[in-house]
Amino acid sequence: MRRGLGMGVAVFLLVASVRAGPMGVTLEFWTISLRPFFTDYITELLRTHELQNPGVRVRWVDQPVGAVVQKLLGSLAAGTPPDVVNLNVPMAAELAQQGGLLPLGALLRSEDRNRYFEGMLRSFEIGGTLYGLPWYVAPPVVAYNTEIWKRAGLDPDRPPRTAEELIAYARQIKDRTGLYGFMPNVDGTNLLQRFQEAGLPVLRGRQAVFNSPRHVAELAKWVRLFREDYFPEETLRRGYLGATERYTAGQLGMLITGPQFLLRVRHDNRSVYDRTRVGPYPLGRGRVIHAPLMGLAIPRTSRHPQEAMRFALYVTEDRNQLAFCRIVTILPTAKAAARDPFFTRLPTHPTAEDHARVLDARQLPLARDLTVVVSHQGELMKAFRDNVEAAFFGRKTPKEALDDAVRFWNARL
Amino acid sequence: MRGSKALSLAPARSLPGPRFRTALVAYLFLAPALVLLSVFTFAPLVLGVFLAFADYNVLTPPRWVGTENLRIVTQDPAFWVALRNSLRYLLVVPALQLAALLLALLVNRRLPGITLFRAAYYVPVITSFAVAGLMWNWMYAQHGVVNWVGLRLGLLGRPFDWLNHPTLALYAVMLVTFWKGIGYYMVLYLAGLQAIPQELLEAARVDGAGRIQAFFLVTLPLLRPTLLLGTLLSTLAAVKVFEEVYVMTGGGPFGQTTTALLYIYQKAFQEFRFGLAAAAGLFVAALGLGLSLLHVRLFREGGLRPW
Repeated sequence: MRRGLGMGVAVFLLVASVRAGPMGVTLEFWTISLRPFFTDYITELLRTHELQNPGVRVRWVDQPVGAVVQKLLGSLAAGTPPDVVNLNVPMAAELAQQGGLLPLGALLRSEDRNRYFEGMLRSFEIGGTLYGLPWYVAPPVVAYNTEIWKRAGLDPDRPPRTAEELIAYARQIKDRTGLYGFMPNVDGTNLLQRFQEAGLPVLRGRQAVFNSPRHVAELAKWVRLFREDYFPEETLRRGYLGATERYTAGQLGMLITGPQFLLRVRHDNRSVYDRTRVGPYPLGRGRVIHAPLMGLAIPRTSRHPQEAMRFALYVTEDRNQLAFCRIVTILPTAKAAARDPFFTRLPTHPTAEDHARVLDARQLPLARDLTVVVSHQGELMKAFRDNVEAAFFGRKTPKEALDDAVRFWNARL
Repeated sequence: MRGSKALSLAPARSLPGPRFRTALVAYLFLAPALVLLSVFTFAPLVLGVFLAFADYNVLTPPRWVGTENLRIVTQDPAFWVALRNSLRYLLVVPALQLAALLLALLVNRRLPGITLFRAAYYVPVITSFAVAGLMWNWMYAQHGVVNWVGLRLGLLGRPFDWLNHPTLALYAVMLVTFWKGIGYYMVLYLAGLQAIPQELLEAARVDGAGRIQAFFLVTLPLLRPTLLLGTLLSTLAAVKVFEEVYVMTGGGPFGQTTTALLYIYQKAFQEFRFGLAAAAGLFVAALGLGLSLLHVRLFREGGLRPW
């Protein structure tokens, strides 16, 4: 009996020591799908942090991208949330709206605030309140297959400069080669970002306004291209993943993608990669580029918010971002890191990824995550997506689709 | 006398009888499973019913809203589309059961290499949907093998993305369910066939029954419990279909392949409206229960009568 009691106490102490070390606190840090490729980087990051912050231990948990929100909800409900969690803007918006995240404004000093590109920091402002620190970003570039371009009569030294030129090139590729020129990012709710890149507002105050004649014309433009078979049907279902597969198979003229996907092209089809060149993302009238952004947030019920904030600042500081960018083609969210020669100069024998990195670094001041954040996020986004898809498949006219979506949004906002 | 009777009854009152002891032992054996069922099935069931009448987002305590969730769900056209799709999915049940039965009859023969065939038909069952979904995604794609075959045979005018077709996408997903489920039900029917005593079939043949007569008059009636189990499981799986649709179409295009369980998932985990999800769940549970009762009743009375 006594031995059993002793064992119980020992187990309890062991479990307790995992949660809070004898010297101080233990933070739990959740990342998204970084294991196993970036295990060494994260492990070294944590080791250095522990050396610099005696008494603060960090336990790293890597979560799959498709499950992180559900797992976070579960841990919040159970009262055992992580202290720092890696989220993208849509995830942060959903959780912040449910009251799951800690507002960071009061914890962030102005000198720290100024470290980040303003547009990226503001991407994590949800309802005017800051809920995350930007960690890394992947603004899109246009990768193109020079062989297909030559067959289409396009000059590989002259990538498209405007959104209109991009479409003209895609038409020319399809007309002359029979291969699709591109798979534009118009699936799901991405059209909301295309609106903003074209300088068209989505919201005015608390009112949805994306059914003006210019919005309708923008949607009609994509619907017409779809119905004229200038981009494949699976664009609407499989998005950038389908595009990457098709490009990698040598069946797509241009790939509009975050630069990190070039790695996949290189791994899966070296000959296509060798024929790949990279151009900048063509700017629309909005002079802004949608760049999917990853950040760090702190759950509202974190037991150690001060230490968690210091850790989040440490992870996103210049040199740590730079070290991360050196092992994968992502871009920093810290201004000083982006000024490093690594992002401004090409090596002697540059690869497509090197070109993408330098081009992307130039685009950083224009990049921000254009995810639209509204109350009832999931419901409103589904309504938008369903209506736009109905327009693509001819069940509604573009005007009817946008009118219906706006009506639904305004009834809920 | 009274004293002796009282004396003789006394041990019976203080010590339980053998039946009581048997029951006690039985319950003790059942206890671990009952505890697990209570914690992981019955308690969530009760909580789920309660949530159907509450506003709940996981992070804040549930708030009682009466029948509001039921009203919202029944007034949502998307819910009825989802329920209609789940009912359409029942089309897969007779096709699947018939094909599995025929396949079981085929692999029940003593042929060389038959074990290999049995194993081959079972492979899709143990293939995860993440893998199977990806594979079928490619096969159904615009440049995939399904279109290639269709074009070669002159059945299609132009290639299209099957999983993005507003009308055909649901049926395309059903075919995957069919492909994935056939091995499972084949094994079920194979076990049922092998449990039928050979003497009965031999007696039927001695009495002059041909193969077809022996099948309909001996095999099929004796297979009735297995048929009940197979169709019941398949019906419930069809009503509750989720994985295939989630992996392959995500409910699109414009909600045309959303099934009842996917609708529930969307409400719970994409919109964080767990009360609405629970309310929709009540309808699906009622549908499943109704179909189960119908099955049991039909098979108890000897199957559908040719009236």
